[in-house]
Amino acid sequence: MKYEEAVAYIASRWNDELVVTSAGTTSELWHAETGDTERVFYLEASMSLSSVFACGIAQGVSEKPVWVFSGDGAFCMNPGMLQVERQMNLPNLKHFMLSNRVYGSTSNVPLPGRNDNDYAAIARGFGIERVYSFGSMNELTATFDEAVMEPGHTFIHLEVEPMNYRGASPPMDGPEVKFRFGRYVERVTGRRVFSAPLDHD
Amino acid sequence: MSSAERAGETGYSEEVAQEITNTCADAGISLVASLPDDWIAYTISKFEQDERFNHVPVNREESALGLCSGAFLAGTGSAALMGASGLMTLIYGITKINYTYEIPIFFMITHRGTFDDGAKFHVSNGLYLEDVMKSINMPYKIINSRDEIPMIGEAYHHSRKISRPTVAVLSKKLLQGKV
Repeated sequence: MKYEEAVAYIASRWNDELVVTSAGTTSELWHAETGDTERVFYLEASMSLSSVFACGIAQGVSEKPVWVFSGDGAFCMNPGMLQVERQMNLPNLKHFMLSNRVYGSTSNVPLPGRNDNDYAAIARGFGIERVYSFGSMNELTATFDEAVMEPGHTFIHLEVEPMNYRGASPPMDGPEVKFRFGRYVERVTGRRVFSAPLDHD
Repeated sequence: MSSAERAGETGYSEEVAQEITNTCADAGISLVASLPDDWIAYTISKFEQDERFNHVPVNREESALGLCSGAFLAGTGSAALMGASGLMTLIYGITKINYTYEIPIFFMITHRGTFDDGAKFHVSNGLYLEDVMKSINMPYKIINSRDEIPMIGEAYHHSRKISRPTVAVLSKKLLQGKV
């Protein structure tokens, strides 16, 4: 399955979910595909923290579905992220893990264990009940509704081809990403995100 | 034997642990991500048992950082509770996430490596912990006695005010209820 086709298809099915993207390629492709600057937190270069970051969001705004992307480079740095996901078991969290067996954001340097890593088995090993593994667009499109649109914490492994893509990063500095996303959360949920005490003494 | 029972047998104070959790609740903290340290076993168990908190034991300190940072964007007050060694592993995450995006986060850590710490393997924390925090301009307050526990709440609110991390450093004698 081609990386960009998988991302484009998922973007085409995007409704009102909050989205957290991961390092490099996913952020760049998602921004190129959607152009969105409010409902997406472009978490670049977190080195494996996108899914736990998304857990913090999903736990706090339990009425909103949250989609999070990671890559297998990040996953291999911190597979224990799934322990935290399982512990929290958030029904509104969907974790898309794009596996291309390389560090795609850093010149496609091969990943250790690239021939043998069985990510779906790892997820099941951590006790995650809803695990899907798609190796083709046909599989992804045929089962997307069951995997993604039904409630329940879900880990979705997408096996994609490495790509030589070097797109532009979303054109925002960190604080702008924070404020745009946070203001959107405030607007649609009624929660106060930016509520620092304003004592003047 | 539970970790809290073990903490009691090794001389740590359940009352201080309760005061810390009460202060956190009063400050608006409702999510606590933790990793263990003997000194805070009671504190962790208090958060675990207290219905005012959603306590999440995490697999590594970076996960606490990620979880609490995301929680901020949902309007959830949070604290990352860990040993000093845990904080020392977090420099990349703090600078990459919390400094780049200006996302506040509040840490509570143990003041390991002090003269009263009997663990030889914490010598590095005694030598470098405070210098490391200073080197990235991370505001911290050492909580040395029970009458300073309210400063935990102040440190939490300060992180929200400055959109940066802050740290409350819990001393051994405090956690033992000796001061």
